[in-house]
Amino acid sequence: MCGIIGYTGNQGNVLDVLMTGLSGLEYRGYDSAGVAVSNSSLAVHKREGEVSALEAAVPDGDLDGLAGIGHTRWSTHGPPSDSNAHPHTDADSTVAVVHNGIIENYQALRRELEADGYEFTSETDTEVIPHLIRAALDAGANREDAFRKAVHRLEGSYAVAAVFDGSETVYAARNESPLVLGIGDDGHYLASDVPAFIEFTDQVVYLEDGQFARVNPSGIVVTDEQGAVVETAVETIDWDPEDAGKSGYDHYMLKEIHEQPTAIRKCLRERVSELEGTIMVEELAELECDGPVQFVACGTSYHAALYGAKMIRERGIPAQCFLASEYETDSIPVSEETLVVGVTQSGETADTMSALRAANRAGATTLALTNVVGSSAARECDHVMYIRAGPEIGVAATKTFASQQVALAMLSSVLSGEYSQAFVKQLRDLPDQIQKVLDESNAREIAEEYDGSDAYFFIGRGYNAPVALEGALKMKEISYEHAEGFAAGELKHGPLALVTDQTPVFAVIAGDTNVSKTLGNIKEVEARGAPVVAVTDSPEQVGQYADHVLEVPSAGPLLTPILANIQLQLVSYWVANRMGRSIDKPRNLAKSVTVE
Amino acid sequence: MDSVSAVVLAGGEGERLRPLTRNRPKPLLPAATTPILEHVFDQLLEAGVTEITVVVGYGRNRVQAYFGPTYRNVPLTYVTQNQQLGSGHALLAAESEVDDTTLVVNGDQIVDSQIISDVLEAHDDAAATLGLLNRRDVESYGGVLLEDGAVTELVENPQDERGYRFNAGVYAFESTIFDAIRAAESRAGEQSLIDGIIELLESGADVRGVVSEGLWVDATYPWDLLDVSFELFEAGLVDGDYEDSSAGAIHDSAVIREPVVIAPDCEIGAGAVVGPYACLGENVTVGSNAVVERSVIDTDTRIGASATVADCVTGVGVTIGNGTVIPGGPGDVRVGDRVFEGEALGALLADRVTDQGGSTYVPGAVVGPEANVEAGATVRGTLPAETEVRS
Repeated sequence: MCGIIGYTGNQGNVLDVLMTGLSGLEYRGYDSAGVAVSNSSLAVHKREGEVSALEAAVPDGDLDGLAGIGHTRWSTHGPPSDSNAHPHTDADSTVAVVHNGIIENYQALRRELEADGYEFTSETDTEVIPHLIRAALDAGANREDAFRKAVHRLEGSYAVAAVFDGSETVYAARNESPLVLGIGDDGHYLASDVPAFIEFTDQVVYLEDGQFARVNPSGIVVTDEQGAVVETAVETIDWDPEDAGKSGYDHYMLKEIHEQPTAIRKCLRERVSELEGTIMVEELAELECDGPVQFVACGTSYHAALYGAKMIRERGIPAQCFLASEYETDSIPVSEETLVVGVTQSGETADTMSALRAANRAGATTLALTNVVGSSAARECDHVMYIRAGPEIGVAATKTFASQQVALAMLSSVLSGEYSQAFVKQLRDLPDQIQKVLDESNAREIAEEYDGSDAYFFIGRGYNAPVALEGALKMKEISYEHAEGFAAGELKHGPLALVTDQTPVFAVIAGDTNVSKTLGNIKEVEARGAPVVAVTDSPEQVGQYADHVLEVPSAGPLLTPILANIQLQLVSYWVANRMGRSIDKPRNLAKSVTVE
Repeated sequence: MDSVSAVVLAGGEGERLRPLTRNRPKPLLPAATTPILEHVFDQLLEAGVTEITVVVGYGRNRVQAYFGPTYRNVPLTYVTQNQQLGSGHALLAAESEVDDTTLVVNGDQIVDSQIISDVLEAHDDAAATLGLLNRRDVESYGGVLLEDGAVTELVENPQDERGYRFNAGVYAFESTIFDAIRAAESRAGEQSLIDGIIELLESGADVRGVVSEGLWVDATYPWDLLDVSFELFEAGLVDGDYEDSSAGAIHDSAVIREPVVIAPDCEIGAGAVVGPYACLGENVTVGSNAVVERSVIDTDTRIGASATVADCVTGVGVTIGNGTVIPGGPGDVRVGDRVFEGEALGALLADRVTDQGGSTYVPGAVVGPEANVEAGATVRGTLPAETEVRS
């Protein structure tokens, strides 16, 4: 889970381009970073820490050349350290390699190479690649053949790029890990993701699994596994790279929380008609589904999927939700009638991609619900529905969760063919109701009241249960505090033992049709002295049982939980803010998890 | 292209625009269908400005969320004025973002790009250059006395008959303005930009004025949003041609009368009549057979079937129920202790007013945010926030 950048051009500004690219990729992981620049020899610099640490370490002015590669790393094999940072080289630095993904057979390859006398200097899986390339060079292969031979030995997922000393060419290959090429006026680019080079060009080519690329100042050549040249389609990126700016907010997360009304407007645009009472998603016009629906997702997207599955079940279609990382090992029965929906913001989440690929192999119909046009999920699934939330930089998902929920609300109507004017009206009211929550929220005061607690618990029933889970996940991610979410009824079956007067309980009772039952759960925790914060659209009914109320407007049983979640996003944000946490880049986490 | 930087002062609430400013500052209130501040940015860009610093304060989250990091590819830098202590104080907040010459404009008044261009062109080696207009209503704003292009005196709300030019609030400054603002004595705890300019004058600095012409519009009171919007149609700054608007779903049998502007995601039902001089913000719904004219209807507002809405200003998320009648002005409007007689205001409904339908509005009615109007009520006078209006 890392970010890769590569550049070759004739402007002599290789290092600047690489550094800009790494900054644009920092959201993908940031425990170490490095660059390699090819000239008559290879210059390699790498450092533990964020990209700024690398910038400080690179000597001024004397590192330029023909071509270069760079990398930000998020540890999978070996702890973050200078030596484990990429790029990795062979013993006398004839080739430097950056890699994103996991090489599953690296231990066998390493033993083989070590037996042949190649010395390893790091604990990473990646280091086998430069040694494999060197071994092929030693055996007489030219650079490109040596690169291809090395890549053919790899098993697992990878996006890999290499530069050689004295060469202006960057070689690259991908398998199950994202890699995109950029075509600019002053050179050519490759990266894990478009923001790395969007400042320089918006003309891109997406590399497919199994393809190789040879990138030099004069052009890009893409070849298949056998080496035959492949025709590629150049696409134009039409979103605004400046969306990456914080626009006056202290954190991307807060900016993105405040962008939710706009995100939902875009999600609904031209998909709903209030006067006709219809919901039409153009991308799904060809989708037919009579059979059961299975959701696969991870993290926040999993919570959205739980919510989606519940809505679809309520409309009479069997639907289940699976953690993507457990999907394959669980041997879930899939038939050709099954619709498997992968919910993934980035469209690159390795666990979700793996589950979707398994579903594709089993003959199911697959649907990607994603934010990223042209992502792996969008390209590999039979159908795709975009959530249109716009770029999300904060590692902790906020606006994309709300957009996923709204997209899933529309999907459930499309699949069941059930929609009503009243529901469409509720959807169209949602952006303004979110704005009202943002304008009037007292979440900051609640955070001030309760930060420093021993733990935070979140409970909810029905559609509020996924919100309780998401509320706890958000708190964990950005505050590093202990937080747990439960279906409210589960509390008494064990977790209640954790509840004390130092553990505030956030009870989500929003659009709830089971208020009295959840009130019963509130009384259980109050009896143990725990402070209760109710997140509710019925303060008159609930307020008397709670120490504090986070109020939301009423948007019906399906949509009010979306509003409740926004209050919980703000609570987590303000708790983490008071604790001085690295909110946009929490420790150990990366935005798009491209390893399984 | 040379870089031209501008500072836009958008930190104040604009209290006289209450109750529309409950959730957002005056620069975010709509002129036609887009915020006043967006029109300000458009004119700055038209005049060749390449980078903009926005001083935000009251409702800053709303400003930042609306515009984001760039406007039409021009980078926006936000600086926060934590307390609103005058226009000079606001400009000081931007000091760290400014070097050398900078243009300064107000974020809540729309000025023609011509005035901005004239100031940029005239500003040479003076300490400050002021954009001036010849207008009769100078006594309500700021007056400037000019001799051979040199400013000799600035007077706020001048009452005498000396030959004042009208201060358009468009300035080019050198960095000396910051010390001048600090040196000027504050009044009631506020630092005024005008006092800073007077300080420059008194220190012997060269302060120039350039007389220009072009559109200059300001909404002093909420109902002025109607005239401001209509002036934008007349001046061609808002295109009132229906064909050119990026409208949402409009029923074939609806009648659209130009000039009109219809923002994205609007829905207009069968038999509805919209316009002339109707401005529908994003995501507005107009029910079947409703009539909307001479009105500024803000985002997310819903007008019910067979409602009649004339000379009306709404906030966001307002519901006007089925069959409600807002017949239009003129009417008397009460603001605090003052009564403005004969204003062309049918009704002003602030953010998220809910009207259950079948109601009648006496011209000049002002309904506060989140008020609830029961079905069949008659609404008159000025009502505070969250009022329950019984039928």
